[in-house]
Amino acid sequence: MIALTVILALLAILGAPLFAVIATSAMLGFQRDDTDLMNLAIEILSIADLPFLAAIPLFTFAGYLLSESNAPRRLVRLTDALLGWMPGGLALVSLAACAFFTAFTGASGVTIIALGAILYPALQQDGYPDKFNLGLVTSSGSLGLLFAPSLPLILYGVIAEVSIDYLFLAGILPGLLMLVMLSGWSLFVSRRSPKVLQKFSIREFGLAIRETAWEIPLPLVVLGGIYSGFLAVSEAAAITALYVFIVEVLIHREIRLTELPRIIRESMVLVGGILAILAVSLASTNYMISAGVPQDLLASVSGLVSSQASFLILLLVFLLILGALIDIFSAIVLVVPLILPIAAAYNVDPVHLGIVFLAAMQLGYMTPPVGLNLFIASYRFEKPIMHVYSATFPFLVILMVSVLVITFWPGLSLLLVPG
Amino acid sequence: MTHGLLSALARLERFGRLAENAMLVVLLGALVLLAVGQIILREVFETGFFRADELIKLLVLWLAMVGSVAATRDNRHIRIDALSHLLPDKAVTAIRLFVDTFAAVICGVVAWQAWRYLQLEIEFEDTVLINVPAWMAHIVVPGAFALMSYRFAVSVIREVFVMATGSGAEARR
Repeated sequence: MIALTVILALLAILGAPLFAVIATSAMLGFQRDDTDLMNLAIEILSIADLPFLAAIPLFTFAGYLLSESNAPRRLVRLTDALLGWMPGGLALVSLAACAFFTAFTGASGVTIIALGAILYPALQQDGYPDKFNLGLVTSSGSLGLLFAPSLPLILYGVIAEVSIDYLFLAGILPGLLMLVMLSGWSLFVSRRSPKVLQKFSIREFGLAIRETAWEIPLPLVVLGGIYSGFLAVSEAAAITALYVFIVEVLIHREIRLTELPRIIRESMVLVGGILAILAVSLASTNYMISAGVPQDLLASVSGLVSSQASFLILLLVFLLILGALIDIFSAIVLVVPLILPIAAAYNVDPVHLGIVFLAAMQLGYMTPPVGLNLFIASYRFEKPIMHVYSATFPFLVILMVSVLVITFWPGLSLLLVPG
Repeated sequence: MTHGLLSALARLERFGRLAENAMLVVLLGALVLLAVGQIILREVFETGFFRADELIKLLVLWLAMVGSVAATRDNRHIRIDALSHLLPDKAVTAIRLFVDTFAAVICGVVAWQAWRYLQLEIEFEDTVLINVPAWMAHIVVPGAFALMSYRFAVSVIREVFVMATGSGAEARR
């Protein structure tokens, strides 16, 4: 049993597709229990019964469409018109634009490619230090993970059976905290920026607003629709997908119809990758729960820690290590069902747990060895990976502090959540 | 002779990609239209498509499965991708060969188990959407896993080829 677990872990580390590793572990579990392996098929089919799952392909498609259009450029122009007059303005522009964009594209690395390509040279031109720019663009690639309608938030809601509406609300203040702290650091770095400040221009602002007139209603469609009780999350996702399609393909005509199959394929490849893991984990999780793994975990954890605070410290350490090793989607699917009952035993609210989980996993995008953003940035901007590590480090430290605040101040997450 | 075989394989490759794309476009389009149509019918006409919710769920299942097959072809399945940045190309190819063989076998086993379950569904005449035989909706699971098994096997063959000819860079594609 232990030998098999070690072999599976080894396979995962060697780079076997995670869904295959998880499927194997589920089947080994069934075998041990004399359960027919056919049950794996039943579990895979049961992904269809998860509520709101349709939101995942729909939002992913909308995000990919947005990133292929000129929407990123328009977004940068608008935020620039709004914030560009401030000292350190362009850095703030980058952070705000990236956060907004990541919320819609689900932190799949698309942000660095779509926005980084515009922002990195612009920052360079404005005389910011190169290392700062690289760090900023790399760490912004997963900023906004806590803002609706990001994919990880939805996935956590689906897995933990927590209201996705509440999660969307809970993410707002912690997400803003990260944004504000990084902005503070950016202002500090650029305090001696030699660049002559541009004046706020009402004309440019008007032009930028007009240009983005079609995209500005998007957050309203998503959030307004959900919070007015008018739309379920998956319905808001469907409207968003159709709306983005109409705006970018039919009105702006920035995406040709012939490009659509490629974009749909790319977005659904991501969805297929996530849902394949989700489907087989339903089986392995059910097996682990029936085998009493959460209780065993709880027993060993309660031997280590007695208070909620010490539990949270232990959780954070665990999540940071986890985040450095596996991607956010697999982590949610695999780990959340196991830690939910333990967190409940320490009176951690499941909504707060979700925010802590995602905030900590966000750091995983920037921590070696597998931080996705590091590799995308290294590849995209043609910088050695070690250089990207060290450029990102100050941002990592700041985000780490914000994660600590988010973890030990549940009120920040729960303030906006009703009940 | 080998040339003919290779070009046949290349044609198959193109056809497979095209078929995946076509299915994904149709499935996603149907999902968007059905979900939006359902909202309009509900809010404006206070009615709805018959069994739309169940159909939406089946569409998501199909999207997930066809998307998985496409992810296998594009080599975009989620993996812990730490070693490929640390080890030399040759070692990476050798490891890939090993883990892809594993993935091909496991997908084959899952496909076989899902196929067995499908036989049961046929035998018991299970239905979805009132009177559609369930196996018609669920055949996508054994089908997708069988195709993934095949795709991983193709990757293995390609990796063996790369190892044999020593053109290292190709393996990461």
